[in-house]
Amino acid sequence: MEEIKGAIALVGYGLAAIGPGIGIGIVVGNAIQAMARQPEAAGMARTTMFLGIAFTEALALIGFVLFFIA
Amino acid sequence: MESVILAASECDVSQEIICAPQDVLELFFFKDALFTIGGFHFTRTVFLIFLAMFIVLGLLYFGLRKGEKVPSKFSSAIEALVTFVKEDIAIGIIGPEGVKYAPYLLAVFMFVIVGNLFEVTPLINFPITSRMAIPLFISLVTWVIFVIVGFKKNGLRYLGDLIWPKSVPVALRWLVGIIEFVSTFLLRPITLAVRLFANLVAGHLMLTLLLASGWIFMSSVGDIGVRSIIGLPWFVFGLGIYVFEIVVAVLQAYIITLLSAVYVQTSVHPEH
Repeated sequence: MEEIKGAIALVGYGLAAIGPGIGIGIVVGNAIQAMARQPEAAGMARTTMFLGIAFTEALALIGFVLFFIA
Repeated sequence: MESVILAASECDVSQEIICAPQDVLELFFFKDALFTIGGFHFTRTVFLIFLAMFIVLGLLYFGLRKGEKVPSKFSSAIEALVTFVKEDIAIGIIGPEGVKYAPYLLAVFMFVIVGNLFEVTPLINFPITSRMAIPLFISLVTWVIFVIVGFKKNGLRYLGDLIWPKSVPVALRWLVGIIEFVSTFLLRPITLAVRLFANLVAGHLMLTLLLASGWIFMSSVGDIGVRSIIGLPWFVFGLGIYVFEIVVAVLQAYIITLLSAVYVQTSVHPEH
């Protein structure tokens, strides 16, 4: 078997990106649905959407930073 | 176009193409001081911090100067920005008493947006918020503010409600309490800082790698001939990312301000 090269931290970052990717998709999808159903509440939905994205994204970013540190 | 490439000027083109920072610790410490005054090391980052400060002061001073009968377009834009932070973020998130926190939120917003936009400013091309010290300091100030406000508004009940939540079944209270305690006092400042930091590091890295590789391939047309055409898609992709990074810079400034407001809000009204 040939030698596998590369940093294991890269695999870790890839794994860390899966969950937040799905999560951001769910957050934005539902926010768009909310905005389409109630356009008058679009402003509130948008603010909350950015909050949700920010919280979800944090996990991927921690993975990204650990890739540098590891 | 030369100025776009300045970010990549640290790469040694004649050798192998190595654009990664030679020492990752550069992200966490200020290195290579240009000169030192009384123990303070002046580096490129420190200069850019002062530049950002003067830009913010100048924007706010000349934008909000009194005495103009008819506000110019510039004044209206700055005023709209200040109103946005005050009305939408401070009052919209925290509530009527959010006016008190509007100056702090405005300072954070303006400083971070200017610092982020240095990333896509020609001739600078270096976001100061991609050095850990600056996001960490901002998030620690936010941490101090929301902890002090929490204790001031609610007394020791702030801590009590946090580690012994009444709305949870008794058997689970200790577990929820531990999670809440750790997430409020440890994870909040860390994620607030890391979010801004990592976004800007990632953007800076992507821009540098794409534009530098495109430029290096295209400029070595004499050595490798027609194969240098491979640099063109990289360069075009890099310019696309360049536009995307402007959006990221503004959005991250908005998000760090929004989250600071949300954290203060949870201390002002802990029930929600």
